[in-house]
Amino acid sequence: MDKLRRAVRRIHVVDDGKNPENIKNINPVHPLARLLVTIGYILTVVSFGKYDLWGLAGMILYLLVTGIWEEISVRDMPGRLFPVLLLAGMAGIANPFLDRAVLWRIGGFAVTGGMVSLLTLLLKAGFCVTASCFLIMETGMEGICYSLRRLHVPKELVTVLLLIYRYLMVLLKEAERMMQAYRLRAPGQKGIHGKAWGAFAGQLLLRSIDRAETVYESMLLRGYHGEFAGQNIRWGKGASFCYLFLWAAAFAGLRMFPVFQMAGNLLRGIP
Amino acid sequence: MHMADALVAPVVAGTMYVCSGAAMGCSIRKVRLESDPKKIPVMGVMGAFVFAAQMINFTVPGTGSSGHLCGGMLLSAVLGPEAGFLTMIGVLLVQCLMFADGGLLALGCNIWNMAFYGCFIGAMVIWKQMMKKGISKRKIMAASVLGCMVTLQLGAFSVTLETLASGITELPFGAFVAVMQPIHLAIGLVEGLITAAVLVFIHEARPELLWGCQTAGCGFRNGGTGKNGWFTYKGTVAALLAAAAVMGGLLSLAASSKPDGLEWSMEQVARTSELEAEGDAYGIAERIQEATAVLPDYAWKDSESAAGTAFSGIVGGAAVILLCVGCCFLFRFFRHRTAKNG
Amino acid sequence: MGHGKDKEPGFEKKFGIKAEHLCFSYPIGNGNGIINGSGKEKQVLQDIHFHVADKESVGLIGANGVGKSTLLKLLVGLANGYGGVLRVGGLDVEKKNLAAIRKSTGYVFQDSDSQLFLSTVYEDVAFGPRNYGYSGEEVERRVAEALKQVHMEELRDRQIYRMSGGQKKLASLATILSMEPQLMLLDEPSAALDPRNRRNLIHILNEIAVTKVIASHDLDFILDTCERTLLLFDGKIVRDGKTEEILGDRKLLEESGLELPLGLKGQNNNQKKENGIGSKGDFGAGKGGTHYRGGSGKVF
Repeated sequence: MDKLRRAVRRIHVVDDGKNPENIKNINPVHPLARLLVTIGYILTVVSFGKYDLWGLAGMILYLLVTGIWEEISVRDMPGRLFPVLLLAGMAGIANPFLDRAVLWRIGGFAVTGGMVSLLTLLLKAGFCVTASCFLIMETGMEGICYSLRRLHVPKELVTVLLLIYRYLMVLLKEAERMMQAYRLRAPGQKGIHGKAWGAFAGQLLLRSIDRAETVYESMLLRGYHGEFAGQNIRWGKGASFCYLFLWAAAFAGLRMFPVFQMAGNLLRGIP
Repeated sequence: MHMADALVAPVVAGTMYVCSGAAMGCSIRKVRLESDPKKIPVMGVMGAFVFAAQMINFTVPGTGSSGHLCGGMLLSAVLGPEAGFLTMIGVLLVQCLMFADGGLLALGCNIWNMAFYGCFIGAMVIWKQMMKKGISKRKIMAASVLGCMVTLQLGAFSVTLETLASGITELPFGAFVAVMQPIHLAIGLVEGLITAAVLVFIHEARPELLWGCQTAGCGFRNGGTGKNGWFTYKGTVAALLAAAAVMGGLLSLAASSKPDGLEWSMEQVARTSELEAEGDAYGIAERIQEATAVLPDYAWKDSESAAGTAFSGIVGGAAVILLCVGCCFLFRFFRHRTAKNG
Repeated sequence: MGHGKDKEPGFEKKFGIKAEHLCFSYPIGNGNGIINGSGKEKQVLQDIHFHVADKESVGLIGANGVGKSTLLKLLVGLANGYGGVLRVGGLDVEKKNLAAIRKSTGYVFQDSDSQLFLSTVYEDVAFGPRNYGYSGEEVERRVAEALKQVHMEELRDRQIYRMSGGQKKLASLATILSMEPQLMLLDEPSAALDPRNRRNLIHILNEIAVTKVIASHDLDFILDTCERTLLLFDGKIVRDGKTEEILGDRKLLEESGLELPLGLKGQNNNQKKENGIGSKGDFGAGKGGTHYRGGSGKVF
């Protein structure tokens, strides 16, 4: 049940991620531009070499700028980051043991290649997850669906996506209520007992199908004929293109030059 | 089993996107051929159901641990493999965006590892073959368990292959496989049993909902689901083999040439641009490219200067971050003020 | 409220309903969910006979499972294969007329969560007009108008799952109003509404001057919204007449599995209050129970 409740809360957080005052007036960037920038960002992050710690670290700038600029709430970030970092950590845990070439020494401590590669892996994982979270918080699911449609993703898939998003909450809450009812009658059990597996999830499934039937009827009665008519999202064309090109240039710059080191060298007066 | 963005190299991700995209194209075609307008809402709500159902903990008797049901098999058993596959794509996309399970880049891999095997191997090959001559409770049990186990084994093996081809981990292939496969054998068994329980319940309550059961007497008739020639049994097997060959070829190519091709090509670009920059005669530009000459890649062997670059990185990073954050906050401050005044 | 675009003669002026000798039965297949009945079909409606005039409000009452929803669904062609005559707005309810009938008909489902399938109020209210191909401004105007009618202008961009049951019900009403219907069919509109929302809904419905058919077993609701009532029992219309008369006939109601509405019991005001709370008990108790559980969980 905790899992269910956590999922419900997480959807809430994503939907309130952004300060609603800003949605209408000041954010004229097309969701498609945001989607493309995010994909570009992830590609750039992933393309860094496994020892290229400083180059990769520069990519944090995008997240900082976006996060502050768009006033994205980050209170749920640790919970999202943790499982991914755990997974990445598991994949890279062997690196420090297998790759022992010393890269540099700080005092008496030798930093090996394995440690650096583990660190870059974790950073990559964290950056990518944060970037996708920011994307959904900026545009919302409708925005993503709209941009997918613009990318010629089949309309069936986009419609299914919208419906999943809509009914996710309804069914999560329904499942939670069922869990609650189950728990009250089965104290001390952590989950659903083997005997009730089929009936519990099966009931939910049957109800979902019945609901789907009504949903279909409701769509039909309001003139549905196979596709959701286009949503009219308003955005600024110039701003979207600027956004796209500026970030593309920034990513290219960050990818090619180790900006952090260059700035450090400048500050330290090293030619 | 969700792969994260950081665990796949762009080439591998691209390859898997192409494979999954092809499967999606075929499925869309099939669903359009069926032209059942009711299917779309049912797919949407069923997708949400799978989502919710995967959040429910089912206790595994005697172990104290808990399992979840297998979405691909369940969806295919209700909607048919093609519609099930499309729904799974939707589910995975929502999972990736809303819950950070998997990532945008790794989505192609995840679709392949979880949705494709579940819907096309689990349901199309195993389920359909077993239900050919009528449906029964025992057959549902057997097909679900077998389907889930095979699905998960294939999925786990693909995860291993994709990770290794991406050059992320230093683990040797054998060790990785030895860890992944047995774990997923156990998970597959549990998932299979849970899925079977749900499907048996549906079979008892409303058998007409199950795939291949819509016609009286149940079972797949010749004129039934495989009629359009796109997804006949032989066709599916042939397509699978072809897909496996293409995938294997691409993956091994990617793995053998360079851990990740895109990185390699990007580095080439980066170096040439450096060379060009060296020709420039501006004062600041000169300094910048002198700084770039101490790229970590060049200085790895010399630990002294490497420590120096690390120091530069930290100092510079802090300065740049401070500058950026400061500017953004300043901008935000003014934006709020104008919003208030206006 | 006219479209002015409909070509069918008489469609615009008169939007009544005519049902004569209407019969309907469900086929009983292998486990189709209908258990009762030994034959191959279950007769749901038998020889239904009624007329509804344009701009008339008609209540459809009867016990659970008596066929109220089925009758409503028949009117918009959601259930196929009826016998007899059924005309809506002068058109026979058959496949070729369905598009025209549905365009001018609004159907409010009992379950608002099924009715509202898009994520925000605005999107959902705009769904109908958009599907009928109206221009962006027209869609905008209709949405604004519909939301104004249900007093929900400020909830325009609200996520549906964040709204209360009452708000959802009003939002589903708005999704229908944006299509500017000439006939409204409401299936249990007052179910799961608290007294205040219920009163609000009655008020809103009374302001809308179109033909309405309201199916409910909340008899007080019918009393407040409809001047005429059809009483359904065992698949037949057992009485068709003035709401006060039918709802005041204790014997008739009890024979049909219903009880005298509280609003007509007059002197029993105390009982009214008690029952009023009791009848909405499902909702309230469920919520209160949750809170209580939460609280006790903390204590122990």
